[in-house]
Amino acid sequence: MTWRLLSTVVVAWILIGPAVHAQTKNPYEGNPDAILAGMGGYRVRCADCHGTDGRGVRGPDITTVWSTGRSDEGLFNTLRRGVPGSEMPAFAAPRTSDRDIWEMLAYLKTLAAPAPTDPPRGNAEAGAKVFRTMCVACHKVDGRGGRLGPDLSRIGTGRSREVLMARIRRGSEDFRSGYEPVTVTTADGKPIDGVKKNEDLFSVQIMDTRERIQGYEKDKVKAVENGKKSAMPIFGPDRLSDSDLDDLLRYLQTLKGFDPTVKPQQ
Amino acid sequence: MRIFHVFAACVLFVAVAVAQQAPPALVSIQEVAQGLPADGSRWLTFGGNYANHRHSPLTQITPANVAQLKPLWTFQTGTLGNFETTSLMRDNVLYVTGPQNVAWAIDARTGRQIWRYRRELPPNLTACCGLVNRGFGVLGDKLFMSTLDAHLIALDMKTGAVAWDATLDDYKTGHAATIAPLVVKDKVITGAAGGEYGIRAFIDAYDAATGKRAWRFYTIPGPGEPGNDTWAGDSWKTGGASVWVTGAYDPEQNLVFYGIGNPGPDYHSDSRKGDNLYSNSLVALDADTGKLKWHYQFTPHDVHDWDATEVPILADLPINGQTRKVVMFANRNGFYYTLDRITGKPIVARPFVITTWAKEIGADGRPVLVPGHTPDEKGEVTCPDLTGGTNFWQPSFDPSTRTFFVNAREVCMTFIAWKPTYIAGERFTGGSGQRVKPSESPAWGALRAIDPATGGMKWEFKLLSPATSGILTTASGLLFSGDADGNLLALDSRSGKLLWRYQLGATMHGTSPTTYIIDGRQHILVPAGTTLTAWALGDAPSTRD
Repeated sequence: MTWRLLSTVVVAWILIGPAVHAQTKNPYEGNPDAILAGMGGYRVRCADCHGTDGRGVRGPDITTVWSTGRSDEGLFNTLRRGVPGSEMPAFAAPRTSDRDIWEMLAYLKTLAAPAPTDPPRGNAEAGAKVFRTMCVACHKVDGRGGRLGPDLSRIGTGRSREVLMARIRRGSEDFRSGYEPVTVTTADGKPIDGVKKNEDLFSVQIMDTRERIQGYEKDKVKAVENGKKSAMPIFGPDRLSDSDLDDLLRYLQTLKGFDPTVKPQQ
Repeated sequence: MRIFHVFAACVLFVAVAVAQQAPPALVSIQEVAQGLPADGSRWLTFGGNYANHRHSPLTQITPANVAQLKPLWTFQTGTLGNFETTSLMRDNVLYVTGPQNVAWAIDARTGRQIWRYRRELPPNLTACCGLVNRGFGVLGDKLFMSTLDAHLIALDMKTGAVAWDATLDDYKTGHAATIAPLVVKDKVITGAAGGEYGIRAFIDAYDAATGKRAWRFYTIPGPGEPGNDTWAGDSWKTGGASVWVTGAYDPEQNLVFYGIGNPGPDYHSDSRKGDNLYSNSLVALDADTGKLKWHYQFTPHDVHDWDATEVPILADLPINGQTRKVVMFANRNGFYYTLDRITGKPIVARPFVITTWAKEIGADGRPVLVPGHTPDEKGEVTCPDLTGGTNFWQPSFDPSTRTFFVNAREVCMTFIAWKPTYIAGERFTGGSGQRVKPSESPAWGALRAIDPATGGMKWEFKLLSPATSGILTTASGLLFSGDADGNLLALDSRSGKLLWRYQLGATMHGTSPTTYIIDGRQHILVPAGTTLTAWALGDAPSTRD
């Protein structure tokens, strides 16, 4: 009798349990009120990185997530848990309710676009060579390269092709924290260019172009001036051909994360 | 023979006891009402005195010698969370509350713990904005503490043992309590937080001896009460209007003055049409009965989360040739107000930061609105941001120079709103905000000195980024505060000139230093991060020979 009861409970848990713990389909899809509320939630929580249109800014294009195979449930979990090791935060309860997440996804569904059908452009292997020539002095990939700019080992997971192209060709005036350009002029008039790592009213901490990290007290230097242009140079067609750009972008899109395990030398 | 020995032992014990210093009398209400005494022997209320001046009469530390301050000791709380407390001090002992419902009695000479109290937190607690507490109240032999699970408790000052425990409301419905209680006569006044959870908040008074509730003032009027019709439909039931910052008390009128929080849902206008009384108001209540004497609503039908939970400061000021009894208030909505505290009518109302939502405060006391500042799903840009021109961190008032000091913020925000669904115990805000990009509108802060007779600025000390520290001033002409980057700052309160600074490693969030005298030395006590540090002039503690 006890065994029969136990087996009934186990079978019931198998049948009912998963349904209770995981909603597989968005219950608010197509609901006009939920879509409107989701628009607000999306703009507050997501638009800074993914753009008002979802086509990506600092974060990737998320209009094609369904057409490339993601499910409602998987997307729900991505929002709830975030993406470890990336800038994508977790939207945890109770500050963000299940309903909030489903409403944002209901809105995002209205922006959904088909998967791109154009054949991919450029050659990643050739792009790696371009990277080693033009970018490696400032950017690190898989543990090799400079430190002045951000590590790009997983840039392919976080930026769309269009966003990367715009950044390379046109630069940006919105600097990522920790990479704002700055010039410290020492008491004897020597300018030191670098990027700002921290600052308060009385001091500034920088990495200079020789990758020296150093703090300076403002009352002991002649000037601390914020740069108006990013330390990242603009690469117009005169410095980087369209074909090399295609190769470089293709290479950058393959970068999905640094594997730090030591491997035998080739 | 045995009886003789017992008798001799008793005589010896009594003789030793007489030789020791007698313990101080219980904390009297007269002591509490006296505020900060000239001898620096105590700090017994949130704002230093009932008028909330947060201004000390002490003059040992001056603009000339403040740079010689030295740390005496540091107490590590070992408790994570914003440390927003105002410590009380009496008879060389500090009484300190911390985050997560922890509290301590600490030897003010050495920083060593005497006792520690910890209240178990329920696992499903939904306190809105951090598991914080803003300090004790005190009377007799009891300390009074509001708790995160919406209780008011009394602790034995000598042991930290619970003397009584009163329930404000059910924490599962989003009620919480973070406010430092105010003790008036024989009552302890506290309030309910939870404005982001659709509660109907209140101010409560409890008998200090027994914990029995004496009165309750609902900050949202019920059906049939004046003001209920300022809420469309049933929206009054979930309208928030929470109470989480300590008010002021005017003994002459026997009135307490409390700032009331935002209406809920915070941002969605259509969910609660009307003025939404008494949200975003200052209310004047009879201290014995809790009956409303007057109210002034700073932001009718607020849609930007601009709680009026800033600290009210009382003073008698000469204005236009007359002495006026006033209450001063720098509001989150960006306006500074001097109100007549007998009538509640504004005398002065003037922006102290950039404000884009209202042109001015009209002759009828209502803001003259600028169109286009009601948030929707697409968003609208308004200054100040949701944190406001200032917030709950304490201003200060120097009566000798009649100057009001505030830590101000210059920040704009894109406000976005959507229609929310009320579920008991869940967040109910209907929107939020995004800071405008620094390249479009830089965010910064400033310590500002304001003339309360005109609302004009006497001086400002600019801060690199908007800060959240309160302000302490002293009769010697010093102002102590902090910035967002962890600097403890001492300025000349008459000129705004920086005199001394120290990098604390964490910002002094939502509170200010306090000051008192121990063994003839003026101390400056600074809560920041997870530490409490005492500073004084002269040498650091001596080493034993």
